[in-house]
Amino acid sequence: MRRLIVGAVATVIAVVGFARGAAAYPQFQFSSGTNKCNQCHFSPAGGGLLSSWGRSESGDTISLGGDGGFLHGAVTLPSWVALGADIRLATTRTDDGGVESPRTAWFPMQSDLYARFAFTDAFSFYMATGVRGETRPASGFSETGVGQINTDFGTVIDRFISREHYLMWRPSATGPYARIGRFYAPYGLRFVEHIYFIRRYAGYELYNETYTASGGYVADEWELHLSAFTPPPSSFPDFFQSVGARESGGAVYYERRFIGESPVTGALAGQGRVGIGKEMTRFQAGAVGKLWFDPIKVLVLGEADLIRQEVPDASFGQNQFVSYLGPTWLPVRGVMVGAAYERFQENLSVSTTARNAYDVQLNFFPWAHFELFGFFRYQMVGQAGQPAATLFMAQLHYYL
Amino acid sequence: MIPRSGLLVVAAAAMIGCGSATDDRPAKWSFISATITEPSCATVNCHSQIANRAAIDLADRTNGYNDLVNRGFVIPGDTTGSSTVLKLMRGQGSLRMPPDAPLPEADITLIERWIASCQVPCDD
Repeated sequence: MRRLIVGAVATVIAVVGFARGAAAYPQFQFSSGTNKCNQCHFSPAGGGLLSSWGRSESGDTISLGGDGGFLHGAVTLPSWVALGADIRLATTRTDDGGVESPRTAWFPMQSDLYARFAFTDAFSFYMATGVRGETRPASGFSETGVGQINTDFGTVIDRFISREHYLMWRPSATGPYARIGRFYAPYGLRFVEHIYFIRRYAGYELYNETYTASGGYVADEWELHLSAFTPPPSSFPDFFQSVGARESGGAVYYERRFIGESPVTGALAGQGRVGIGKEMTRFQAGAVGKLWFDPIKVLVLGEADLIRQEVPDASFGQNQFVSYLGPTWLPVRGVMVGAAYERFQENLSVSTTARNAYDVQLNFFPWAHFELFGFFRYQMVGQAGQPAATLFMAQLHYYL
Repeated sequence: MIPRSGLLVVAAAAMIGCGSATDDRPAKWSFISATITEPSCATVNCHSQIANRAAIDLADRTNGYNDLVNRGFVIPGDTTGSSTVLKLMRGQGSLRMPPDAPLPEADITLIERWIASCQVPCDD
């Protein structure tokens, strides 16, 4: 009974809560013993709702204990339906050297509800819906001794959004697939944290999901994803709208995995993306590397992209660079410690347009469905003499 | 067997940086809007079309120009009269914009150059 009550309360919070982008934890690829993202997720490229295998892993491998099943295993859903939710409460402390620094805020960061309905063994419909998160409400801040508390619940009804909804044909977990609807075209490391430069400056900003037609092939040792995308029409209501660059184009992602008896496994990927917008066209190409050292339980993830921007009305083009490189240590079950270096250079010819960030993060999974997350970023912007910016963020994450 | 050269290329590429201190980017709103204000300011909680914080929409070139110039945040040709927006970006006397991390000073200087050279209309 207690499990049911916990689940019901969580569902209510999710319905009136706040949504964030849904993505995956690429740190679990290889380190958890699973080599493909779609072993744990229904999506062919990972992220979002967990499959039954993923739910089992979340209790048996990822967390210190518990039952990762829906409603903590209290309810067994029919095989044609899968439901879930993500809820995150967060606090941030930002210091950018300005006169109002540092600032502390507490706010509901995410509430997403997921549903997947399988019509046959091959065809399914998936949707992720929630309320856009709000770090800094226009009104409804309560000043407290610990910072600013977001109490702005009056705009919840205006902030509902469906980030993902798509129809998919996938006869089996490995092999060919095709899907059409709203989702990110597979590209890059696909971290859950949207503030990473490789998401923010490469077309994967929060709520930047496009209407996409995608197809590909997922095998044990490789996977290929080909996508064509376009932004939601401007006539669509906010519920279906996106944020960020409004581009139409295509993307390709090919990953080759190196798995076997060796204690060191990993993957290399090549990727490309073209985004054509009314004001700007972007061509980008890059590489992704993943390397798992099993004896020392360290996973190294890296991504680097070169981006060519063309702004025809300004008769100007520029080259950009964005990257991520960092190790994650999983010393014991339930604990993940990571560090990373990020770089974004807005214009490769102008050295003073660079941003460098150094990140440290701790993820703790004390029980299936629960996560505690701490993150610190030290960011240096532009030229010498500009103040550095720091961010500390803590989250309490519950997934249903 | 993992190709070590491929992994080394990814690792090395992730740390590269280059360029000179000379800024030859055009001080034009069409460039500034597409490459600086839209990605840095039109984020989901701030001046995107759907959040429209302070009724300022910087998500596209036309709306951004109208909201900045027609509402007096930017006074064409007058950087002193436009000091509010420049002070906001430099964190002088108020909350810094963007609030998560400053813009590179080179970007703020480029915006300042656009304001100084602006002869209405300067939305090209």
